Amino acid sequence: MKKKILVIDDDLNIRDYLVSLFNDNGYDAYVAKDGKEGFKVAKETIPDLITLDIEMPGEWGPRLYRQLSQDSHLKNIPVIVISGLSGHQYAVVKAVASLSKPFDRDELLKIVKQTLT
Amino acid sequence: MPKKILLINGDQDLTAALKLYIERQQYDVTCVTTFEAVLQKLAKDIWDILLVDPFFNDEMVSCLEVIKKNCPHVQIIVLAQRDKLDTAMDIFESNVIHYLEIPINSKALDLALIAASKNILRNRKFDRYSERLSALHGTQDLLNQLFEEVPCYISVQDRNFRITAANRKFRQHFGNQVGGQCFEIYKYRTSQCHDCPVAETFQDGESHSTEEIVTSKFGKQYNVLTRTAPIRNEKGEITQVMEMSTNITQIRQLQDHLVSLGLMLGSMSHGVKGMLTALDGGVYQLETGLEKKDNNRVLKASEQIKTMANKIKNMVLEILYYAKSRELQYEEMRVDTLAENVVSSVKSMAEKYDINLDISIPKNLGKIDIDPKWMEASLINFLENAVDACVSDRDKKDHHITFQVSKNSKNQICFAITDNGIGMDTETKNKMFTLFFTSKGSQGTGLGLFIAYRVIEYHGGTVEVESEPGKGSQFYISLPLHKPDNIKNVEFPMANS
Repeated sequence: MKKKILVIDDDLNIRDYLVSLFNDNGYDAYVAKDGKEGFKVAKETIPDLITLDIEMPGEWGPRLYRQLSQDSHLKNIPVIVISGLSGHQYAVVKAVASLSKPFDRDELLKIVKQTLT
Repeated sequence: MPKKILLINGDQDLTAALKLYIERQQYDVTCVTTFEAVLQKLAKDIWDILLVDPFFNDEMVSCLEVIKKNCPHVQIIVLAQRDKLDTAMDIFESNVIHYLEIPINSKALDLALIAASKNILRNRKFDRYSERLSALHGTQDLLNQLFEEVPCYISVQDRNFRITAANRKFRQHFGNQVGGQCFEIYKYRTSQCHDCPVAETFQDGESHSTEEIVTSKFGKQYNVLTRTAPIRNEKGEITQVMEMSTNITQIRQLQDHLVSLGLMLGSMSHGVKGMLTALDGGVYQLETGLEKKDNNRVLKASEQIKTMANKIKNMVLEILYYAKSRELQYEEMRVDTLAENVVSSVKSMAEKYDINLDISIPKNLGKIDIDPKWMEASLINFLENAVDACVSDRDKKDHHITFQVSKNSKNQICFAITDNGIGMDTETKNKMFTLFFTSKGSQGTGLGLFIAYRVIEYHGGTVEVESEPGKGSQFYISLPLHKPDNIKNVEFPMANS
C-alpha cells in the first residue's frame, strides 16, 4: 500500500509542486493550506509523514505541531519542515528534518524515503 | 661661574694692582689699557661688570653710552679722579651703579662689586621669570587656539549644566550661549536629558559617551557622538565637565541608506524564497510533464513558470527602483482623488481603533503635479502617525482626526491633519523627521516620517507642526501646484510603497 504524505503550505504553487513530486515517486499526497486545515486532514487520513511550512496565515506551523504531539493518533507522525523563514530549524525542534526554501528535490526525496522505511 | 669683569683703565700700575685685588675675590678679571683693546673685548665677549675710567680716552664716554644702550644688564662701576667724579655723575647719572674715587678705597670697591653681583643675580632671576612668563603665554595661546579650532563642538559645563566656555564651532552652530544650560541649547529641552553623560562624569569622574541628535540655532538636526571628560581643581575635585561632540550626520545618512536597503531586502527575503521554490516546482512540472507527455501538466507548468518569472522580475525591479537614486515620476492628478485615495487607505485602521475621522475634501481644488505613488505613501504615513498618536493616548476617551484639504493664498494645496492624541514635546517635535528617531519604542522603525517628510521636501513642499504634550498635534503640509524648477534628485530608498 502506498505511503501517505500530507503537504501543508499556504502557497498553492508549492503545494502543487510537492503533490506532483510525491505522486511521481510512488506516494499518495494530501494537501492543506494552513495549520487548522492540516489538523483536520491529518485526523481524517492519518498520514505516514507530514511536510510543514512555518509561516502561514491563520494557524502557523509550530502551533499545529503542538496539537499533533498532543493527539494520541497523530503524535508519532514524522514531520519535515520546509520553510523560507530564517531560523525555521528552531521552530519545530523534533522535526526529522528542516529544509530551507528553495529546497533540493533529491535531498527531500532521500529524507522522505529514509523516514518511511 | 665667576662673574666676568672688564677692567678699563689707562694707568697700567693701578690696573695691575686692582686686578690682583679683585681676582682674590673670585672674579674673572680681564684688563685693557687701550681703546682699541676695549672695542675688541666688547665685541668678542659678554661682560657682567665694567670697571672703567671713562676719561682715559676721549671716546670712552660715548662708547659707554652705547654699551649701556645695547647691554642694559651690564653693571658699570666708574673709577675717576676726584675732580672728574662730578662730571662723570652728570654724564652717566643712575646708569652707573657706583662712582669710585681714585685712589680707590678697597672697602668701597668691595661694596660696589657686591652691589653689582646682587644686581646681576636679580637680573638673571628676572630674565628667567620673563622667559617663563612668555613661554606660559605662548602655551596658553596655543591651548586656546587648539580649543577654539578643534573641528568638534566643545563645551565646558558646571554642575547645573550651565555652559561656562564653548569653542568656535560650537558658537557658530549653537550661538554664543555661555551661561545657558546645555539641554536648552542643544535640544530645546526644559529639563535635563535622560542618561546625561555630563551628569555621569560628575558622579564617577570617568569619561562617558552617547550618541545624540541635537538641533542647531538654524533649526538643523545633527547626529553627534558625545564624549565627556572631568576637569578637576587642585584638590582633585571635579568642578566642571568638558563635553566634546563630533558631528557624524553624514556617516549616519550613509548608514541609514544602507540599513534601510538592508531592512527592505530582509523583509523581502521570505517572499523571494517562496517564489524560487514555486519556480523550482514549475520547472519540475515542466520536466516531468514532458517526460510523461502529459500536456496538461506541461501547460500548467509553463503558466506557473511565467507567473513566477513575472513576480520575481517585478520584485527585482522594485528593489532596483527603491535602491537607486531616481527622479520623481511626475503626473498630473486631481487633488480630490489623491486625498480620497489617502483617506481610503487609513479608514479601516481608524475604524479598528474607534477613532473618529473627520474628512473635508472639496471637489473644486483642480489638479496637482506630483509623483502619485510617493505622495500617497507620504500622506498616508502622516495620517497613520496621527492614528498612532491617538492609539498611544490613554488619557482621553474619544479620539478624532481631521483631514482637511484646501488651497491657500499662495495657490498651494494644503493638507491639514489634526489629532487629539498624545502630542509631542519640543525634543520629539525637533527630531521627528530624523531617520531612525522613534517615540514609539519597539513599535516604530523611525523610517516612516523621515521618508514622508523627504517626499514632501522633494516636491518643493513644506511641513509645519504644532503640538502640545497630552493635547494633540497639527501637521500642515503645503504643496506647490506645479513641479518646481529646482527639483532635487531623490536619493533615498523607500521602505515600502
